Amino acid sequence: MTKLLRLAGLAVILVVSLLFAVFVGDQGPWYFAWVIGTVMIILISGAGAIMLDAQSSLSSDGEI
Amino acid sequence: MEFINPDVVDLSRFQFALTALYHFMFVPLTLGLTFMLAAMETVYVVTGRQIYRDMAQFWGKLFGINFAIGVATGITMEFEFGTNWSMYSHFFGDMFGTPLAIEGLMAFFMESTFVGLMFFGWDRLSKQAHLAITYLVALGSNLSALWILIANAGMNMPEGAHFDPETMRMQFESFVDLVFNPDAQAKFVHTSVAGYVSAAMFVMGISAFYLLRGQHRQFAARSFRMAALFGIISTVAVITLGDVLGRLDYEKQPTKIAAIEGLWHTSNPPFEPWIVAALPDDAKQENRYEIGVRLVLTPLITHTFDQPITGMHELEEEAGPRIRSGIDAVAALRRYGVTHSSMDLAQFTAHEQDMGYGLLATRHAPGQDITAIPADQIDDVVRATQPDILPNVFVTFWSFRLMVFLSLWFFALFAISAYLSLKRRLERSRLLLKLCMWSIPLPILATEFGWITAEAGRQPWTVFGWLPTFLSASSHGVSYMVFSLIGFVLLYSVFIAAELYLMFKFARLGPEHDSMEPHAPAASRASAFDMRPMAS
Amino acid sequence: MELYAILKIVWAALLGVLFIGLGTMVGMDMGVGTLLRFVGRNDGERRTALNIIGPHWDGNQVWFILGGGAIFAAFPTLYGTSFSAFYVVMITLLFSMILRPVAFEYRSKADSRLWRAGWDWVFLVSGFVPMFIYGAAFGNVLEGVGYHFGWTGQYYQDESFLSYLLNPFAILCGLMSVGLSVYQGGAMLMLRADDPIWSRARRYAMGGGLVAAILSVIGGIWVQFLPGFVMTAPVNPAMPANPLHGQSVAVVAGGWMHNFHAHPALWLLPLVGLGCMLLGVGMLARGHTVVSWWLGLGAWVGTIMTVGCAMFPFLMPSSTTPDQSLTVWNSTASEYGLGCMLVVAGIFVPIILSYTSWCYYVMRGKVHTADVVNDTHSY
Repeated sequence: MTKLLRLAGLAVILVVSLLFAVFVGDQGPWYFAWVIGTVMIILISGAGAIMLDAQSSLSSDGEI
Repeated sequence: MEFINPDVVDLSRFQFALTALYHFMFVPLTLGLTFMLAAMETVYVVTGRQIYRDMAQFWGKLFGINFAIGVATGITMEFEFGTNWSMYSHFFGDMFGTPLAIEGLMAFFMESTFVGLMFFGWDRLSKQAHLAITYLVALGSNLSALWILIANAGMNMPEGAHFDPETMRMQFESFVDLVFNPDAQAKFVHTSVAGYVSAAMFVMGISAFYLLRGQHRQFAARSFRMAALFGIISTVAVITLGDVLGRLDYEKQPTKIAAIEGLWHTSNPPFEPWIVAALPDDAKQENRYEIGVRLVLTPLITHTFDQPITGMHELEEEAGPRIRSGIDAVAALRRYGVTHSSMDLAQFTAHEQDMGYGLLATRHAPGQDITAIPADQIDDVVRATQPDILPNVFVTFWSFRLMVFLSLWFFALFAISAYLSLKRRLERSRLLLKLCMWSIPLPILATEFGWITAEAGRQPWTVFGWLPTFLSASSHGVSYMVFSLIGFVLLYSVFIAAELYLMFKFARLGPEHDSMEPHAPAASRASAFDMRPMAS
Repeated sequence: MELYAILKIVWAALLGVLFIGLGTMVGMDMGVGTLLRFVGRNDGERRTALNIIGPHWDGNQVWFILGGGAIFAAFPTLYGTSFSAFYVVMITLLFSMILRPVAFEYRSKADSRLWRAGWDWVFLVSGFVPMFIYGAAFGNVLEGVGYHFGWTGQYYQDESFLSYLLNPFAILCGLMSVGLSVYQGGAMLMLRADDPIWSRARRYAMGGGLVAAILSVIGGIWVQFLPGFVMTAPVNPAMPANPLHGQSVAVVAGGWMHNFHAHPALWLLPLVGLGCMLLGVGMLARGHTVVSWWLGLGAWVGTIMTVGCAMFPFLMPSSTTPDQSLTVWNSTASEYGLGCMLVVAGIFVPIILSYTSWCYYVMRGKVHTADVVNDTHSY
């Protein structure tokens, strides 16, 4: 039952995001760009930090 | 007939500018730091490494110090529309009030309710729930920027409202036009992302400070890299959106773009130079000591090689007939208010589009009454009004240039920083670290210059083309303004002193939990439980 | 009735709801601020009191900001005129309001005793002054404000600000509002704190409730003799919102009682208000804090609705040009604007109420002094 509810919740979120993307992408392309861009900025900067974790565990020179 | 007191108008403008610029010293950090905190916490939740939680908590503490003043000074801004701009509130409030109220409902509640949970809920919520709360705070603070910029775009490029002679104000008619006003879209992204740049510089600069002192190295290196990457992408976005805004001004606010570029005469495409530096002289209406780069201006502004940009002299000439027609509109409107006859209404409707230009002539009409100008004086009134359509060119020109030059500096600094951080050569580049540290206040300065460009360039209007600034102010006495100005200066000075004291204190102390540096001295324990009675 | 007239009435009612929310939630925080120096005798106790409202004051303060925003959107002319007419008072209110967020965030971040004692005074001022002005504004509006409009819609002031500050009836209303806020703040402290804060808060809360009850009785009698404003000719409720023409208004002694004479059922409202105050004090004496907190809300409901129903349809009457008085009919936004805002409020208010209550749920339970001073993130 909880699984079904969770799936239903995900489906609702999916539909809302699709509607948002279609409507806002049409009416206000820059708003849409902001949403996508912000997510991208967060992911890239987070990836950079994780990369640093990997870099420092691979080499032992202690450089940062 | 009550007269306009120019001193009160100037003092009201001064007070608004002062409080708005002060407010916006704190807003950019709020807009950007919330998303940076969210990024750090995301990495914490994904990797489970304690250091990212330390980062979110430490930068969150500095965010809190900044956030408090941002909230406090924001209340001032909302009040001032009513306390100092009563005519503006009456004239434009039907449309302007809507985004402000939605800002409260949609954004302020979200940001303020969840910011409490963000600070206090670390132990009461699961990791994932707390992360969601942090994202909601970030979204809330940026949504509040969205709605206030939608409102601001309405002042600069009114869309979705029309003037109604029955109510003597702009009537709201389209929510969709209001929200999707192209100016609002570009301004929101430009401003929000400028906040990201400010926050990135803040985090990068303080991290550089730790690296220079060799403290909290792992903590600082991770913060530095996240900030550098955050900053470089945001700077690119800021510059792109700035270009979009310039083109919008070219289409909708020709006086602003001409003043920004110091363009006194219509441009000569494609050779017109882009003026790098000059001393624009508002009184003589010319530039002195001009240094320019040929061939740049036309493609920069118009994105073509053959379209001219109208100069300020030509704009003044074009305004002449509009002012004359506007004077007729205002006279007909006043008659209509008394007679309610369809003839007067028809006469008003014929000149309606020029009403604002008619109101602009108020200060030059005999007895400040545009509805009773003797026929032989009309030409003089129109001629005297024409130069009033231009903003202050010196201020607009230079605030724009300083903003642009600063943004180019950020681009270079973030690019080099990101590169060196990825190559793990930061600690060997002490000069760069110092530059990063000293650049902390610069993005905030650039944001302030951006606001000056946008709003000084909007003059002489509060509602572009419809309501002149000098008519918008409340009809107070000068003594009222002196009272409030003294209060603001005193209070705001105390605030900035307290905020800088705490910022420096906590930035120097550094993160109190640093899981990668177990021997670091425990900084800033909460003060001992003080049982001594306090005076009451 | 036309849609526009219905929208105007709905928004007048929503304005009342906002004033009630503002009085209860903001009043509660302000009451804690006012009481801070009295319920907390040492630093640990004061920090406990602050952390009780710590996670919520920011959200509550938004009621206040939203109040301004909603008046701006739904009653733009009223917004510009009232804020400008009460300039000195409004700016004083603003100064005391903007000190609060800073005081919360900064007080406990430095150890100096002078620093903390200074911010404690700020809490007293920024708790007392706004609630006093909030009540006094209602008193002033009941007495009428001196202003008129020029033909463009620009407002002009006909009265000095001193007449608003030194007005005995307004001072009474202001003190009553402070009394209610102390009551509400005290009840909140009792909900979340143990002794000794609990018993001190109870003493002050009972005092606040009693003062409010006594002042509301005096005020109620006083209003019978105040000059009130009445419409002398029928108005078109759906008229274009423009204060310049369309109304004829007279000033009549005891005029504010006309609505009560016409609809005697309205007498229930002041009775509810007064009853809640007295019953609340009794419940506090027995230590039923939850019930007395909700009775505090009831007191606000009764008080605000009494004032609103007495004045309807007036919002801010003009004592010098009564015909240009701002009313529910002539100072609202356009039909489109009101409708638009109603839809937005219909969507967001339920969402806000649900996450605000969730927030209180997450932070529920008693706040202990020892936890507060050992947590480096607390206020």
